[in-house]
Amino acid sequence: MAAVAVHQFAQCITCHAWSPDHSMVAFCPNNNEVHIYKLVNDKWEKVHVLQKHDQIVSGIDWSGKSNRIVSVSHDRNSYVWNREGPEWVPTLVILRLNRAALCVRWSPKENKFAVGSGAKTVCVCYYEQENNWWVSKVIRKKHDSSVTSVAWHPNNILLATTSTDGKCRVFSTFIKGVDTRESKTGSSSDPKFGEQIVQLDLSSSWAFGVKWSPSGNTLAYVGHNSMIYFVDDIGPSPLAQNVAFCNLPLRDVLFVSEKMVIGVGFDCNPMVFAADKSGLWSFIRFLGEKKESLSGPKSGSQFSEAFGKLYAQAKHGLSNDTVEPSKIQGAVHDNCINCIALLNKKGSQTKRFSTSVFLFR
Amino acid sequence: MAEVKKSVESDNAEDILTKIENKSLKIESLIKQYKFIEAIKTALEGYPPRDERCKSANWIGVHKALMAIKDVEGMLRSLDPQYYDILMKYIYRGLSTGNRTTCDQCLKIHEKLTEKAGFGCILRSLADTVNTV
Repeated sequence: MAAVAVHQFAQCITCHAWSPDHSMVAFCPNNNEVHIYKLVNDKWEKVHVLQKHDQIVSGIDWSGKSNRIVSVSHDRNSYVWNREGPEWVPTLVILRLNRAALCVRWSPKENKFAVGSGAKTVCVCYYEQENNWWVSKVIRKKHDSSVTSVAWHPNNILLATTSTDGKCRVFSTFIKGVDTRESKTGSSSDPKFGEQIVQLDLSSSWAFGVKWSPSGNTLAYVGHNSMIYFVDDIGPSPLAQNVAFCNLPLRDVLFVSEKMVIGVGFDCNPMVFAADKSGLWSFIRFLGEKKESLSGPKSGSQFSEAFGKLYAQAKHGLSNDTVEPSKIQGAVHDNCINCIALLNKKGSQTKRFSTSVFLFR
Repeated sequence: MAEVKKSVESDNAEDILTKIENKSLKIESLIKQYKFIEAIKTALEGYPPRDERCKSANWIGVHKALMAIKDVEGMLRSLDPQYYDILMKYIYRGLSTGNRTTCDQCLKIHEKLTEKAGFGCILRSLADTVNTV
């Protein structure tokens, strides 16, 4: 796998989302706006600028079937943007938050969306036809700290959240009138809104980037202690696997298939994890080529100088001259990768914190 | 009820201290026999104790094993990767002592260990505030 296309949109991108036909991408260039670019004749052109938020837009999601964009921001608001003719019309959704909103995701059926916030709550919003507005229901009591990431199970009811208290939790978001009560399929389907199904306490440090596998059988999330956790059989007795790896922590993950996950984070290079036939997950390789291996204090641009000075103390200044600040060869990103989004069934796309948007096949 | 629990805990601490002393003696004898790699493996075995006194006693033994190592690369080659994280924690404890010879040795080991285990190892030793050494 290699980067298929490289695009420079802005200095810094906070979050992004693709349109249903993948011809347009919406992102926030680290300010209070949402920019929408369209691919016209192999060139990206800015077609819309959505300006409603007062502070940085921290999350954007573009629904696949209903073609709606939801954006949430540090200004504690969220807007649902509907396409009416050539314009995008915003509808304010009152979340009743007293802290920033950090992440947002449409549910698989796109009749709800979940917002994780710094107020230790998750808001699940649904559309009320009679009053023609979006109502938010809040999951209040369970989180001990900011909710960093949310992910919907394919059944449109279970929601997984990760938080800076190090735990990953799965809740039921069954809303009467919005979700239909299915006959018991044998899985633990407690239909009460806000009920916590399971709490996973695997990481002692902040947890980020939770995602369900396409079938909903496996859950993956990352901890800030350079570990990635894979959990099967969510329920009373889940099976968890902790995979420790040698590099800097990840921020987000993506299930490319049932058995393959790509993680992105502070190493500026997407990492591929795969499960073998027995279900054991392990790190396979980096996506971008890395000419310099991790051996020696020369690895990593900022670290090499620091390590040189550190080790020079032990070697009494002998090695100081040999260490140069060297950049990782062949890495496409210069800075921390913030999030990764699926482009189509075969490919996936990553976004870069500092400049560009890259497409990987 | 709380008093009973406290006395049970201190009993356990005494037990643990005895175990640590035995471990220390074993490490010393291994060092005298020039079996440095065995010494460090013995030192890294077992969960770090909870109690502060036990931790300090444990550190003395581990410190002896660390200082005795001459061939750092060889030691790391024969060490099981599952011990990398705990070794990194002890190295940081050594670096925090500020003692010149300890720090020199710990820096040497830190360099080689980072080459082998990567930044993830450092991060895990920093992030784990529950199982400290």
